[in-house]
Amino acid sequence: MTIRRTFVVVAMAAIAAFAASPALAQGKTFTVGVPLPLTGAEAKFGEMEKQAYEMAAAEINAKGGVKGSKLVLDIQDSGGKPETATAIVEKFITIDKYPIVVGEYTSQCSYAVAGVAEKYKVPYLVVTGAADKITQQGWKYVFRLNPPSSLYNQGLFGLWGQVGKPKTIALLYENTDFGTSTSKAMKDYCDANGIQVVLNEGYQAGAVDFKPILQKVKSLRPDVIYMVSYLMDASLLMRQSKELDINPQAFIGGAAGFTLPEFLQNAADASEDALSGTLWTPQVKYPGAKAFFDNFKAKYSKDPDYHGAEAYAATYVLADVLKRARSWTPDDLRAALSDTNMMTAFGPVKFVSWGQFTNQNRMETLVLQVQNKKFETVYPPDAASAKAIYPVPRWRDRK
Amino acid sequence: MSPQVAGQLELLGQVLISGILLGGLYALIGLGMSLIMGVMKIINLAHGELMMVAMYITFWAYTLAKIDPYVSLLIVFPLMFVLGVGVQKFLLSPVMEADTVLPQGQVLLTVGLGLILSNLALLLFTANYRSVPVSYASKTIYWDLHPGGQTISLSFSYPFLVAFCIAGVLGGALFVFLAKTDTGRMIRATAQDKRAAALMGVNTKRITYITFGLGTALVGAAGALLDPVYYLYPNIGGPFTNKAFVITILGGLGDIPGAVLGGLVLGLAESLGSVYISLGYKDAFGFIIFVLVLIFMPRGLLGRGRI
Repeated sequence: MTIRRTFVVVAMAAIAAFAASPALAQGKTFTVGVPLPLTGAEAKFGEMEKQAYEMAAAEINAKGGVKGSKLVLDIQDSGGKPETATAIVEKFITIDKYPIVVGEYTSQCSYAVAGVAEKYKVPYLVVTGAADKITQQGWKYVFRLNPPSSLYNQGLFGLWGQVGKPKTIALLYENTDFGTSTSKAMKDYCDANGIQVVLNEGYQAGAVDFKPILQKVKSLRPDVIYMVSYLMDASLLMRQSKELDINPQAFIGGAAGFTLPEFLQNAADASEDALSGTLWTPQVKYPGAKAFFDNFKAKYSKDPDYHGAEAYAATYVLADVLKRARSWTPDDLRAALSDTNMMTAFGPVKFVSWGQFTNQNRMETLVLQVQNKKFETVYPPDAASAKAIYPVPRWRDRK
Repeated sequence: MSPQVAGQLELLGQVLISGILLGGLYALIGLGMSLIMGVMKIINLAHGELMMVAMYITFWAYTLAKIDPYVSLLIVFPLMFVLGVGVQKFLLSPVMEADTVLPQGQVLLTVGLGLILSNLALLLFTANYRSVPVSYASKTIYWDLHPGGQTISLSFSYPFLVAFCIAGVLGGALFVFLAKTDTGRMIRATAQDKRAAALMGVNTKRITYITFGLGTALVGAAGALLDPVYYLYPNIGGPFTNKAFVITILGGLGDIPGAVLGGLVLGLAESLGSVYISLGYKDAFGFIIFVLVLIFMPRGLLGRGRI
């Protein structure tokens, strides 16, 4: 080693020691790796989740952290790309040596991350990725907080029980893991319950003009139009449905793009009366749900939807797991995760296995509706904040 | 006429309307590329990225100064013209003059330019998807027909209709400009035979500046018109470069009326294909036609291949 190179190494070591010293002075920390889409098409979802994670971590640290350690979040931007998410998590596990991974947004990314986590035997808590297959692989290190997408429509089926099932339905979904999985569950339900599926089409994200296919939907006159889309397409679909004056009994979204506050802005008056399945609304009766909603709104001046609640609850699940784990090694954390049985602002969390699912949390889902430019919970009755408008009025009859 | 027939007619009518309106926008995107192709014999592969730049100008004009996207055309058009002239003068011209090893050096340069532009936008504006939430975004004009006692209700999207009309006006103006003005004649002369034009006293270098500026301004106008009906993000350019390329080939390289026809054909192919075949293969239809035209009509739909 030359003198110069030695000097560089020594200098770098000194800088590293200097950089690390403030953390040491404050005491112990525990860092968790969180990949999230902070840029790209899913950035709005990532942004809300990041805010919710940070809010929860700040609350936990204000109360003394976990076992005297400060909880630190290492949030990295995956851009919503599975390959980037994979690279980030490889680094989390092999270089940073984080013993647990939490987060990601889309099903594709969550699925990719789950594969990496299982390979390295590091526990991974899925927070939002909903495609059924993520917890159907028999993976031991993968746990999921949110229900699988095939259960996203349970609330909706309940609502139909009240207002009457449609006779015909048109399904439009983005050709992604989440879109395909959610709409397949809807199709299976329709086939089993005598609802005629008059159109079942997947689309590639990025279409400028959905009007031709929407016109076809219009000519088939379905009672219900069911759409599974992320934010931009959800807004375009609603706007163009209004343009074409399509008047089914209801427009129903399969969560995701249809529950974000930005949906109300982008689709504007075309979002009115749109229904959507959702996993959480501020009206749910879980302890802490109302406080989370109010605090989030006060802090970030926007309404959180189920994505924020998921991230917030995931942080508390993590803190609980860290408290109960015998040691903070991947295997002990995994054991603690599988013993989880707690209540969060998002709902009860317990990882169980049934059917093809392993380590999967189970919970009730809800239905919300845009009424007067606001999201209102319309099902189940004990959490409802407004009565469902069903069937919805014709576009031309609206104000 | 039975209600079923009326329903099918309504569907067909609406699909044709959507296809033609979208095709008008595509034609405007294709015009710029075709013009550049005609004069400089190169495919500008930064075409979509230049459109992205115009979309961001329109977006910021609306967000910061509340300038309506249609009004901002007055800003976008000259700005993009200047940008195009600058690109030609300082980037493309020097490469065209040099005896490079690769004769396609200029095409490669446009690829690089596109990469730089989209990554610059990524750096400056992040990868976030944005939209221009104008009040008339979903405004619609309905047109009811009553053939044989049945009602056929057709709808025209207001922003698409405006975009189509402006695209038509710009296309017509370009046609008149090329046919009637001295500069237009010089552009055509340069396109037909650059050396002969130079011998006749045409400043061909200046003509290439003007051509590239015009081509850029035209696609910029398309970008501004696209903003109210779509959304924007830094990598939006790529798919539109592909579309412009397909349109240019359909129309015949450098054929202006051909490019308009190519745009309409692409718009119609996408909307008819997505309804009567499958939505998932929407983007494939344009390329299938592209390949068929290349095989059977290599000089373009109009079979002329010149301005």
